[in-house]
Amino acid sequence: MNRYLKLVNFEFNRFFKLYVVLVIVTIIMQIIAVIVESRRYMQEAENVIYGEMMSKADFIKNYEAFTMQRIVQSNWFYWSIAFCAVILLIYVFFIWYRDWLGKNSFIYRLLMLPTARLNLYFAKATAILIFVFGLVALQLFLFSIETQLVKWMIPAEFRVDLPMSEYIRFNYLSIILPSSIFDFFIFYGIGIIAVFIMFTAILFERCYRLKGIIFGISYGLVSFGFFLMPLLINTFVLKNYFFPLELFVMEVIVCIIILLGAIWIGNYLLKYKIRV
Amino acid sequence: MKRMILQGGIPVIEVKNVTKKFGRKEVLKGVSFTAEKGQITCLIGINGVGKTTIMQAIMSLIPINSGEIFIDGSKLTKDSYEKIIFIPDTITMPPQMRIGDAFAFMDDFYQSWNQKRAEELLEFFKLEETERISELSKGNTAKVNMLLGLALDVDYLLMDEPFSGIDIFSREEIANVFTSHLIEDRGVIITTHEINDIEHLIDKVVLIDNGVVLKEFNVEEVREKEGKSVIDVLREVYES
Repeated sequence: MNRYLKLVNFEFNRFFKLYVVLVIVTIIMQIIAVIVESRRYMQEAENVIYGEMMSKADFIKNYEAFTMQRIVQSNWFYWSIAFCAVILLIYVFFIWYRDWLGKNSFIYRLLMLPTARLNLYFAKATAILIFVFGLVALQLFLFSIETQLVKWMIPAEFRVDLPMSEYIRFNYLSIILPSSIFDFFIFYGIGIIAVFIMFTAILFERCYRLKGIIFGISYGLVSFGFFLMPLLINTFVLKNYFFPLELFVMEVIVCIIILLGAIWIGNYLLKYKIRV
Repeated sequence: MKRMILQGGIPVIEVKNVTKKFGRKEVLKGVSFTAEKGQITCLIGINGVGKTTIMQAIMSLIPINSGEIFIDGSKLTKDSYEKIIFIPDTITMPPQMRIGDAFAFMDDFYQSWNQKRAEELLEFFKLEETERISELSKGNTAKVNMLLGLALDVDYLLMDEPFSGIDIFSREEIANVFTSHLIEDRGVIITTHEINDIEHLIDKVVLIDNGVVLKEFNVEEVREKEGKSVIDVLREVYES
Protein backbone atom coordinates (compact mmCIF):
# COMPACT_ATOMS: atom_id res chain seq x y z
CA MET A 1 0.00 0.00 0.00
CA ASN A 2 2.76 2.33 0.99
CA ARG A 3 4.70 1.72 -2.22
CA TYR A 4 1.49 2.11 -4.21
CA LEU A 5 0.97 5.58 -2.73
CA LYS A 6 4.60 6.44 -3.43
CA LEU A 7 4.11 5.37 -7.02
CA VAL A 8 0.97 7.50 -7.28
CA ASN A 9 2.90 10.46 -5.91
CA PHE A 10 5.72 9.78 -8.35
CA GLU A 11 3.38 9.53 -11.33
CA PHE A 12 1.60 12.69 -10.26
CA ASN A 13 4.86 14.62 -10.01
CA ARG A 14 5.99 13.42 -13.42
CA PHE A 15 3.00 15.09 -15.10
CA PHE A 16 2.67 17.97 -12.69
CA LYS A 17 4.45 20.65 -14.74
CA LEU A 18 2.44 19.87 -17.85
CA TYR A 19 -0.68 19.70 -15.72
CA VAL A 20 -0.05 23.19 -14.38
CA VAL A 21 0.31 24.40 -17.98
CA LEU A 22 -2.98 22.67 -18.80
CA VAL A 23 -4.67 24.38 -15.85
CA ILE A 24 -3.29 27.80 -16.81
CA VAL A 25 -4.33 27.40 -20.45
CA THR A 26 -7.83 26.33 -19.33
CA ILE A 27 -8.16 29.33 -17.04
CA ILE A 28 -6.94 31.74 -19.72
CA MET A 29 -9.23 30.31 -22.41
CA GLN A 30 -12.28 30.43 -20.16
CA ILE A 31 -11.57 33.96 -18.97
CA ILE A 32 -11.21 34.95 -22.63
CA ALA A 33 -14.55 33.23 -23.29
CA VAL A 34 -16.19 35.35 -20.57
CA ILE A 35 -14.64 38.60 -21.75
CA VAL A 36 -15.27 38.00 -25.47
CA GLU A 37 -18.86 36.85 -25.02
CA SER A 38 -19.74 39.57 -22.52
CA ARG A 39 -18.27 42.32 -24.69
CA ARG A 40 -19.90 40.93 -27.81
CA TYR A 41 -23.27 40.88 -26.09
CA MET A 42 -22.92 44.40 -24.72
CA GLN A 43 -21.70 45.65 -28.10
CA GLU A 44 -24.73 44.09 -29.72
CA ALA A 45 -27.00 45.60 -27.10
CA GLU A 46 -25.47 49.03 -27.63
CA ASN A 47 -25.80 48.79 -31.40
CA VAL A 48 -29.41 47.70 -31.23
CA ILE A 49 -30.52 49.98 -28.42
CA TYR A 50 -28.84 53.12 -29.75
CA GLY A 51 -28.81 52.24 -33.45
CA GLU A 52 -32.35 50.97 -33.76
CA MET A 53 -33.72 53.03 -30.88
CA MET A 54 -34.99 49.95 -29.10
CA SER A 55 -35.75 49.92 -25.39
CA LYS A 56 -33.74 47.69 -23.08
CA ALA A 57 -36.85 45.64 -22.32
CA ASP A 58 -37.52 45.07 -26.03
CA PHE A 59 -33.91 44.19 -26.64
CA ILE A 60 -33.97 41.54 -23.91
CA LYS A 61 -37.30 40.28 -25.21
CA ASN A 62 -35.98 39.96 -28.78
CA TYR A 63 -32.38 38.96 -28.14
CA GLU A 64 -32.66 37.16 -24.78
CA ALA A 65 -30.91 38.10 -21.60
CA PHE A 66 -27.28 37.14 -21.10
CA THR A 67 -26.74 33.89 -19.21
CA MET A 68 -23.75 31.67 -18.49
CA GLN A 69 -25.20 29.35 -21.11
CA ARG A 70 -23.88 31.75 -23.73
CA ILE A 71 -20.36 31.36 -22.32
CA VAL A 72 -20.35 27.58 -22.02
CA GLN A 73 -21.54 27.36 -25.62
CA SER A 74 -18.81 29.63 -26.92
CA ASN A 75 -15.87 28.30 -28.92
CA TRP A 76 -13.25 29.44 -26.42
CA PHE A 77 -14.97 27.59 -23.62
CA TYR A 78 -15.62 24.50 -25.70
CA TRP A 79 -12.00 24.31 -26.86
CA SER A 80 -10.69 24.69 -23.31
CA ILE A 81 -12.63 21.57 -22.32
CA ALA A 82 -11.72 19.74 -25.52
CA PHE A 83 -8.05 20.65 -25.03
CA CYS A 84 -8.00 19.15 -21.52
CA ALA A 85 -9.87 16.03 -22.69
CA VAL A 86 -7.49 15.47 -25.60
CA ILE A 87 -4.34 16.01 -23.51
CA LEU A 88 -5.56 13.61 -20.83
CA LEU A 89 -6.56 11.06 -23.44
CA ILE A 90 -3.09 11.27 -24.99
CA TYR A 91 -1.58 10.97 -21.52
CA VAL A 92 -3.49 7.72 -20.91
CA PHE A 93 -1.16 6.28 -23.56
CA PHE A 94 1.90 8.35 -22.79
CA ILE A 95 1.84 7.45 -19.08
CA TRP A 96 2.90 3.95 -20.19
CA TYR A 97 4.90 4.59 -23.31
CA ARG A 98 7.11 7.25 -21.75
CA ASP A 99 8.70 4.49 -19.63
CA TRP A 100 9.80 2.60 -22.72
CA LEU A 101 10.65 5.46 -25.03
CA GLY A 102 14.06 7.05 -25.51
CA LYS A 103 17.46 5.96 -24.35
CA ASN A 104 16.50 6.05 -20.69
CA SER A 105 14.54 2.90 -20.04
CA PHE A 106 12.75 3.69 -16.82
CA ILE A 107 10.60 0.62 -17.35
CA TYR A 108 13.57 -1.52 -16.21
CA ARG A 109 13.49 0.23 -12.87
CA LEU A 110 9.71 0.13 -12.51
CA LEU A 111 9.52 -3.59 -13.24
CA MET A 112 12.36 -4.28 -10.83
CA LEU A 113 10.76 -2.47 -7.90
CA PRO A 114 10.17 -4.76 -4.93
CA THR A 115 6.42 -4.33 -5.15
CA ALA A 116 3.60 -6.08 -6.98
CA ARG A 117 3.65 -4.98 -10.60
CA LEU A 118 -0.10 -4.48 -10.41
CA ASN A 119 0.69 -1.46 -8.24
CA LEU A 120 2.18 0.21 -11.32
CA TYR A 121 -1.10 -0.34 -13.12
CA PHE A 122 -3.17 1.03 -10.25
CA ALA A 123 -0.80 3.92 -9.61
CA LYS A 124 -0.96 5.07 -13.22
CA ALA A 125 -4.75 4.71 -13.25
CA THR A 126 -5.04 6.61 -9.97
CA ALA A 127 -2.83 9.41 -11.33
CA ILE A 128 -5.10 9.74 -14.38
CA LEU A 129 -8.19 9.87 -12.15
CA ILE A 130 -6.58 12.52 -9.94
CA PHE A 131 -5.85 14.62 -13.03
CA VAL A 132 -9.42 14.22 -14.29
CA PHE A 133 -11.05 15.05 -10.97
CA GLY A 134 -8.59 17.89 -10.47
CA LEU A 135 -9.78 19.46 -13.71
CA VAL A 136 -13.42 18.87 -12.78
CA ALA A 137 -12.81 20.62 -9.45
CA LEU A 138 -11.05 23.43 -11.29
CA GLN A 139 -14.07 23.80 -13.57
CA LEU A 140 -16.43 24.10 -10.62
CA PHE A 141 -14.16 26.72 -9.09
CA LEU A 142 -13.88 28.56 -12.40
CA PHE A 143 -17.65 28.72 -12.77
CA SER A 144 -17.88 30.75 -9.57
CA ILE A 145 -15.14 33.12 -10.80
CA GLU A 146 -16.73 33.38 -14.25
CA THR A 147 -20.16 34.08 -12.77
CA GLN A 148 -18.63 36.90 -10.78
CA LEU A 149 -16.88 38.26 -13.87
CA VAL A 150 -20.15 38.21 -15.78
CA LYS A 151 -21.77 40.16 -12.96
CA TRP A 152 -19.07 42.81 -13.31
CA MET A 153 -19.29 43.01 -17.06
CA ILE A 154 -23.00 42.69 -17.74
CA PRO A 155 -25.45 45.01 -15.95
CA ALA A 156 -28.10 43.22 -13.90
CA GLU A 157 -30.96 44.23 -16.22
CA PHE A 158 -29.31 42.47 -19.16
CA ARG A 159 -28.58 39.16 -17.53
CA VAL A 160 -30.27 36.26 -15.80
CA ASP A 161 -28.21 34.52 -13.12
CA LEU A 162 -28.94 30.86 -13.69
CA PRO A 163 -27.87 28.22 -11.22
CA MET A 164 -25.02 26.02 -12.54
CA SER A 165 -27.29 23.01 -12.93
CA GLU A 166 -29.33 24.98 -15.48
CA TYR A 167 -26.60 26.10 -17.83
CA ILE A 168 -24.83 22.75 -17.95
CA ARG A 169 -27.95 20.66 -18.26
CA PHE A 170 -28.44 20.54 -22.01
CA ASN A 171 -24.91 20.33 -23.35
CA TYR A 172 -21.68 18.36 -23.26
CA LEU A 173 -20.91 19.65 -19.75
CA SER A 174 -23.63 17.45 -18.30
CA ILE A 175 -21.28 14.49 -18.87
CA ILE A 176 -18.33 16.14 -17.14
CA LEU A 177 -20.46 17.59 -14.35
CA PRO A 178 -23.38 15.19 -13.87
CA SER A 179 -26.41 16.67 -12.17
CA SER A 180 -27.04 13.70 -9.88
CA ILE A 181 -24.90 11.28 -7.93
CA PHE A 182 -26.49 8.49 -9.95
CA ASP A 183 -25.30 10.02 -13.24
CA PHE A 184 -21.93 10.68 -11.66
CA PHE A 185 -21.44 6.99 -10.92
CA ILE A 186 -22.62 5.99 -14.37
CA PHE A 187 -20.51 8.49 -16.35
CA TYR A 188 -17.37 8.24 -14.26
CA GLY A 189 -17.79 4.49 -13.76
CA ILE A 190 -17.83 4.00 -17.52
CA GLY A 191 -14.92 6.44 -17.83
CA ILE A 192 -12.84 4.50 -15.29
CA ILE A 193 -13.61 1.21 -17.03
CA ALA A 194 -12.58 2.76 -20.35
CA VAL A 195 -9.24 3.84 -18.84
CA PHE A 196 -8.61 0.33 -17.48
CA ILE A 197 -9.50 -1.22 -20.84
CA MET A 198 -7.10 1.16 -22.60
CA PHE A 199 -4.35 0.33 -20.07
CA THR A 200 -4.81 -3.39 -20.65
CA ALA A 201 -4.89 -2.89 -24.42
CA ILE A 202 -1.63 -0.89 -24.16
CA LEU A 203 -0.10 -3.74 -22.15
CA PHE A 204 -1.12 -6.19 -24.90
CA GLU A 205 0.84 -4.05 -27.34
CA ARG A 206 3.81 -3.77 -24.96
CA CYS A 207 3.87 -7.54 -24.48
CA TYR A 208 3.34 -8.72 -28.03
CA ARG A 209 4.31 -5.58 -29.98
CA LEU A 210 2.92 -5.81 -33.56
CA LYS A 211 0.68 -8.77 -32.81
CA GLY A 212 -0.23 -6.99 -29.59
CA ILE A 213 -1.84 -4.14 -31.52
CA ILE A 214 -4.29 -6.64 -32.98
CA PHE A 215 -4.78 -8.29 -29.57
CA GLY A 216 -5.30 -4.91 -27.92
CA ILE A 217 -7.82 -3.69 -30.46
CA SER A 218 -9.64 -7.05 -30.41
CA TYR A 219 -9.69 -6.98 -26.61
CA GLY A 220 -11.15 -3.46 -26.67
CA LEU A 221 -13.82 -4.47 -29.18
CA VAL A 222 -14.72 -7.61 -27.23
CA SER A 223 -15.03 -5.55 -24.03
CA PHE A 224 -17.24 -3.02 -25.82
CA GLY A 225 -19.35 -5.83 -27.31
CA PHE A 226 -19.71 -7.42 -23.89
CA PHE A 227 -20.76 -4.06 -22.48
CA LEU A 228 -23.49 -3.72 -25.12
CA MET A 229 -24.55 -7.36 -24.91
CA PRO A 230 -27.46 -7.01 -22.44
CA LEU A 231 -28.89 -4.12 -24.45
CA LEU A 232 -28.48 -5.90 -27.78
CA ILE A 233 -29.93 -9.20 -26.54
CA ASN A 234 -32.87 -7.40 -24.95
CA THR A 235 -33.57 -5.38 -28.08
CA PHE A 236 -32.99 -7.86 -30.87
CA VAL A 237 -33.41 -11.31 -29.34
CA LEU A 238 -35.82 -10.93 -26.44
CA LYS A 239 -37.77 -8.00 -27.94
CA ASN A 240 -37.68 -5.77 -24.84
CA TYR A 241 -38.36 -8.56 -22.38
CA PHE A 242 -36.58 -6.92 -19.41
CA PHE A 243 -37.65 -3.92 -17.35
CA PRO A 244 -35.26 -0.96 -17.47
CA LEU A 245 -34.19 -1.59 -13.88
CA GLU A 246 -33.37 -5.22 -14.67
CA LEU A 247 -31.36 -4.10 -17.66
CA PHE A 248 -29.56 -1.57 -15.54
CA VAL A 249 -28.62 -4.20 -12.96
CA MET A 250 -27.36 -6.46 -15.76
CA GLU A 251 -25.26 -3.61 -17.15
CA VAL A 252 -23.76 -2.94 -13.73
CA ILE A 253 -22.83 -6.63 -13.40
CA VAL A 254 -21.36 -6.65 -16.90
CA CYS A 255 -19.35 -3.49 -16.10
CA ILE A 256 -17.96 -5.04 -12.93
CA ILE A 257 -16.96 -8.16 -14.88
CA ILE A 258 -15.29 -6.02 -17.58
CA LEU A 259 -13.44 -3.99 -14.94
CA LEU A 260 -12.23 -7.05 -13.02
CA GLY A 261 -11.33 -8.73 -16.32
CA ALA A 262 -9.22 -5.72 -17.38
CA ILE A 263 -7.39 -5.73 -14.05
CA TRP A 264 -6.86 -9.50 -14.08
CA ILE A 265 -5.53 -9.54 -17.66
CA GLY A 266 -3.40 -6.46 -16.95
CA ASN A 267 -1.91 -8.16 -13.90
CA TYR A 268 -1.24 -11.36 -15.86
CA LEU A 269 0.48 -9.44 -18.67
CA LEU A 270 2.60 -7.39 -16.29
CA LYS A 271 3.61 -10.44 -14.29
CA TYR A 272 4.28 -13.00 -16.97
CA LYS A 273 4.36 -11.46 -20.44
CA ILE A 274 5.78 -7.98 -20.21
CA ARG A 275 9.05 -7.16 -21.96
CA VAL A 276 11.38 -4.25 -21.58
CA MET B 1 8.37 -25.26 -2.05
CA LYS B 2 11.91 -23.99 -1.82
CA ARG B 3 14.20 -25.94 -4.12
CA MET B 4 17.42 -26.62 -2.33
CA ILE B 5 20.09 -26.34 -4.96
CA LEU B 6 22.66 -24.62 -2.83
CA GLN B 7 25.92 -26.13 -3.93
CA GLY B 8 27.98 -26.98 -0.88
CA GLY B 9 25.84 -24.54 1.05
CA ILE B 10 26.70 -21.69 -1.32
CA PRO B 11 23.70 -19.70 -2.59
CA VAL B 12 23.42 -19.61 -6.35
CA ILE B 13 21.49 -18.36 -9.31
CA GLU B 14 20.57 -21.37 -11.37
CA VAL B 15 19.48 -21.02 -14.98
CA LYS B 16 18.08 -24.31 -16.21
CA ASN B 17 17.24 -25.26 -19.80
CA VAL B 18 15.98 -21.80 -20.64
CA THR B 19 14.68 -21.28 -24.16
CA LYS B 20 13.53 -18.02 -25.61
CA LYS B 21 12.16 -17.21 -29.04
CA PHE B 22 11.69 -13.81 -30.60
CA GLY B 23 9.18 -14.56 -33.32
CA ARG B 24 10.59 -17.56 -35.14
CA LYS B 25 14.13 -16.91 -34.08
CA GLU B 26 15.27 -19.01 -31.14
CA VAL B 27 17.68 -16.82 -29.19
CA LEU B 28 18.23 -19.14 -26.24
CA LYS B 29 18.27 -22.88 -26.88
CA GLY B 30 18.23 -24.59 -23.53
CA VAL B 31 20.73 -22.44 -21.68
CA SER B 32 21.86 -23.79 -18.32
CA PHE B 33 24.49 -22.51 -15.91
CA THR B 34 24.93 -21.47 -12.32
CA ALA B 35 26.40 -18.34 -10.76
CA GLU B 36 27.48 -18.50 -7.16
CA LYS B 37 27.33 -15.84 -4.51
CA GLY B 38 30.78 -14.45 -3.76
CA GLN B 39 31.98 -15.08 -7.32
CA ILE B 40 32.14 -13.04 -10.50
CA THR B 41 30.65 -14.99 -13.39
CA CYS B 42 31.22 -13.62 -16.85
CA LEU B 43 28.91 -14.36 -19.77
CA ILE B 44 30.98 -14.14 -22.91
CA GLY B 45 29.86 -14.27 -26.50
CA ILE B 46 29.67 -12.17 -29.60
CA ASN B 47 26.81 -9.71 -30.17
CA GLY B 48 23.37 -11.21 -30.52
CA VAL B 49 24.08 -14.57 -28.87
CA GLY B 50 21.58 -13.89 -26.09
CA LYS B 51 23.67 -12.61 -23.17
CA THR B 52 21.38 -9.66 -22.41
CA THR B 53 18.33 -11.85 -22.96
CA ILE B 54 19.59 -14.21 -20.23
CA MET B 55 19.98 -11.29 -17.82
CA GLN B 56 16.50 -10.01 -18.64
CA ALA B 57 15.06 -13.50 -18.23
CA ILE B 58 16.67 -13.90 -14.80
CA MET B 59 15.07 -10.60 -13.73
CA SER B 60 11.70 -11.54 -15.26
CA LEU B 61 11.90 -8.57 -17.62
CA ILE B 62 10.98 -10.78 -20.57
CA PRO B 63 8.97 -13.98 -20.63
CA ILE B 64 10.80 -17.20 -21.42
CA ASN B 65 9.35 -20.02 -23.52
CA SER B 66 10.56 -22.85 -21.31
CA GLY B 67 13.00 -23.64 -18.55
CA GLU B 68 13.37 -22.49 -14.98
CA ILE B 69 15.37 -19.91 -13.10
CA PHE B 70 16.05 -20.14 -9.38
CA ILE B 71 17.58 -17.64 -7.04
CA ASP B 72 18.84 -19.32 -3.89
CA GLY B 73 16.50 -22.18 -4.66
CA SER B 74 13.36 -20.11 -5.16
CA LYS B 75 11.67 -18.61 -8.17
CA LEU B 76 11.82 -14.86 -8.51
CA THR B 77 9.14 -12.92 -6.64
CA LYS B 78 8.64 -9.21 -5.97
CA ASP B 79 10.65 -9.58 -2.78
CA SER B 80 13.58 -11.02 -4.75
CA TYR B 81 14.23 -7.52 -6.11
CA GLU B 82 15.53 -6.61 -2.66
CA LYS B 83 18.36 -9.10 -3.11
CA ILE B 84 19.09 -9.15 -6.82
CA ILE B 85 19.54 -6.17 -9.10
CA PHE B 86 20.14 -5.77 -12.79
CA ILE B 87 22.29 -2.95 -14.11
CA PRO B 88 21.52 -2.71 -17.84
CA ASP B 89 23.67 -0.79 -20.30
CA THR B 90 21.10 2.00 -20.36
CA ILE B 91 20.23 4.40 -17.53
CA THR B 92 17.13 3.30 -15.67
CA MET B 93 16.04 6.64 -14.29
CA PRO B 94 14.11 9.45 -15.97
CA PRO B 95 16.60 11.85 -17.62
CA GLN B 96 15.20 14.97 -15.99
CA MET B 97 16.06 13.60 -12.55
CA ARG B 98 19.07 14.82 -10.63
CA ILE B 99 21.31 12.20 -9.06
CA GLY B 100 20.00 13.23 -5.63
CA ASP B 101 16.40 12.68 -6.81
CA ALA B 102 17.39 9.24 -8.05
CA PHE B 103 18.81 8.47 -4.59
CA ALA B 104 15.54 9.62 -2.99
CA PHE B 105 13.57 7.43 -5.38
CA MET B 106 15.69 4.38 -4.55
CA ASP B 107 15.46 5.13 -0.84
CA ASP B 108 11.68 5.34 -1.13
CA PHE B 109 11.24 1.99 -2.79
CA TYR B 110 14.10 -0.27 -1.65
CA GLN B 111 14.64 -1.37 1.92
CA SER B 112 18.05 -2.56 0.79
CA TRP B 113 19.09 0.96 -0.29
CA ASN B 114 22.25 1.97 1.53
CA GLN B 115 22.50 5.76 1.51
CA LYS B 116 25.93 5.74 3.14
CA ARG B 117 27.29 3.49 0.43
CA ALA B 118 25.58 5.63 -2.24
CA GLU B 119 27.42 8.69 -0.92
CA GLU B 120 30.65 6.73 -0.79
CA LEU B 121 30.18 5.71 -4.40
CA LEU B 122 29.35 9.24 -5.39
CA GLU B 123 32.72 10.29 -4.07
CA PHE B 124 34.40 7.25 -5.60
CA PHE B 125 33.06 8.17 -9.04
CA LYS B 126 33.60 11.92 -8.49
CA LEU B 127 29.96 12.82 -9.13
CA GLU B 128 27.68 15.44 -7.59
CA GLU B 129 24.14 14.89 -6.28
CA THR B 130 22.97 18.04 -8.03
CA GLU B 131 23.93 16.82 -11.50
CA ARG B 132 21.05 16.13 -13.84
CA ILE B 133 21.11 12.69 -15.48
CA SER B 134 20.35 14.06 -18.94
CA GLU B 135 23.40 16.31 -18.75
CA LEU B 136 25.89 13.58 -17.86
CA SER B 137 28.47 12.22 -20.27
CA LYS B 138 28.14 8.62 -21.40
CA GLY B 139 30.84 7.52 -18.97
CA ASN B 140 29.23 9.31 -16.04
CA THR B 141 25.81 7.96 -16.99
CA ALA B 142 27.28 4.45 -16.84
CA LYS B 143 28.76 5.28 -13.44
CA VAL B 144 25.41 6.52 -12.10
CA ASN B 145 23.77 3.41 -13.42
CA MET B 146 26.32 1.27 -11.65
CA LEU B 147 26.11 3.37 -8.52
CA LEU B 148 22.34 2.88 -8.26
CA GLY B 149 22.86 -0.88 -8.36
CA LEU B 150 25.90 -1.06 -6.12
CA ALA B 151 24.35 1.07 -3.38
CA LEU B 152 21.75 -1.60 -2.78
CA ASP B 153 22.59 -4.20 -0.16
CA VAL B 154 21.78 -7.05 -2.52
CA ASP B 155 23.26 -10.53 -2.79
CA TYR B 156 23.45 -10.57 -6.58
CA LEU B 157 24.39 -8.00 -9.18
CA LEU B 158 23.74 -8.51 -12.86
CA MET B 159 25.69 -6.13 -15.07
CA ASP B 160 25.16 -5.86 -18.78
CA GLU B 161 28.13 -4.48 -20.71
CA PRO B 162 29.27 -2.02 -18.02
CA PHE B 163 32.24 -0.97 -20.18
CA SER B 164 30.32 -0.50 -23.40
CA GLY B 165 31.11 2.72 -25.27
CA ILE B 166 32.86 4.56 -22.45
CA ASP B 167 36.30 6.12 -22.33
CA ILE B 168 39.35 4.40 -20.88
CA PHE B 169 39.39 6.46 -17.67
CA SER B 170 35.75 5.76 -16.84
CA ARG B 171 36.40 2.13 -17.71
CA GLU B 172 39.26 2.03 -15.25
CA GLU B 173 37.14 3.57 -12.53
CA ILE B 174 34.37 1.03 -13.09
CA ALA B 175 36.88 -1.82 -13.20
CA ASN B 176 38.24 -0.62 -9.85
CA VAL B 177 34.85 -1.31 -8.34
CA PHE B 178 35.39 -5.03 -8.86
CA THR B 179 38.48 -5.05 -6.66
CA SER B 180 36.88 -2.92 -3.96
CA HIS B 181 34.85 -3.89 -0.91
CA LEU B 182 31.76 -2.83 -2.88
CA ILE B 183 31.63 -6.17 -4.60
CA GLU B 184 33.00 -8.60 -2.04
CA ASP B 185 30.68 -11.42 -0.94
CA ARG B 186 28.20 -10.63 -3.66
CA GLY B 187 27.41 -12.80 -6.63
CA VAL B 188 28.05 -10.97 -9.88
CA ILE B 189 27.01 -11.94 -13.37
CA ILE B 190 28.57 -9.71 -15.96
CA THR B 191 28.44 -9.59 -19.73
CA THR B 192 31.24 -7.85 -21.55
CA HIS B 193 33.23 -7.71 -24.73
CA GLU B 194 36.10 -6.02 -22.93
CA ILE B 195 37.42 -9.23 -21.40
CA ASN B 196 40.95 -7.80 -21.11
CA ASP B 197 39.76 -5.26 -18.54
CA ILE B 198 38.42 -7.78 -16.10
CA GLU B 199 40.05 -11.09 -16.98
CA HIS B 200 42.07 -11.05 -13.78
CA LEU B 201 38.94 -10.41 -11.72
CA ILE B 202 36.51 -13.04 -12.90
CA ASP B 203 36.07 -16.42 -11.26
CA LYS B 204 33.97 -18.19 -13.80
CA VAL B 205 33.25 -17.96 -17.51
CA VAL B 206 30.12 -19.06 -19.32
CA LEU B 207 30.82 -19.08 -23.00
CA ILE B 208 27.69 -18.62 -25.08
CA ASP B 209 27.30 -18.92 -28.80
CA ASN B 210 24.20 -19.04 -30.93
CA GLY B 211 21.92 -19.44 -27.90
CA VAL B 212 23.73 -22.38 -26.29
CA VAL B 213 26.35 -22.65 -23.59
CA LEU B 214 29.50 -23.85 -25.33
CA LYS B 215 31.64 -24.10 -22.25
CA GLU B 216 31.43 -23.24 -18.56
CA PHE B 217 34.72 -23.15 -16.70
CA ASN B 218 36.44 -21.92 -13.59
CA VAL B 219 39.12 -19.39 -14.52
CA GLU B 220 41.48 -20.29 -11.69
CA GLU B 221 41.27 -24.01 -12.43
CA VAL B 222 42.00 -23.54 -16.12
CA ARG B 223 44.87 -21.21 -15.29
CA GLU B 224 46.42 -23.59 -12.75
CA LYS B 225 45.77 -26.95 -14.40
CA GLU B 226 46.08 -26.05 -18.07
CA GLY B 227 48.12 -22.88 -17.86
CA LYS B 228 45.66 -21.06 -20.11
CA SER B 229 44.13 -17.61 -19.89
CA VAL B 230 40.47 -16.88 -20.60
CA ILE B 231 41.48 -15.48 -23.99
CA ASP B 232 43.35 -18.74 -24.78
CA VAL B 233 40.26 -20.80 -24.00
CA LEU B 234 38.05 -18.49 -26.05
CA ARG B 235 40.40 -18.75 -29.00
CA GLU B 236 40.44 -22.53 -28.67
CA VAL B 237 36.67 -22.84 -28.56
CA TYR B 238 35.98 -20.41 -31.39
CA GLU B 239 38.70 -21.80 -33.66
CA SER B 240 37.66 -25.42 -33.18
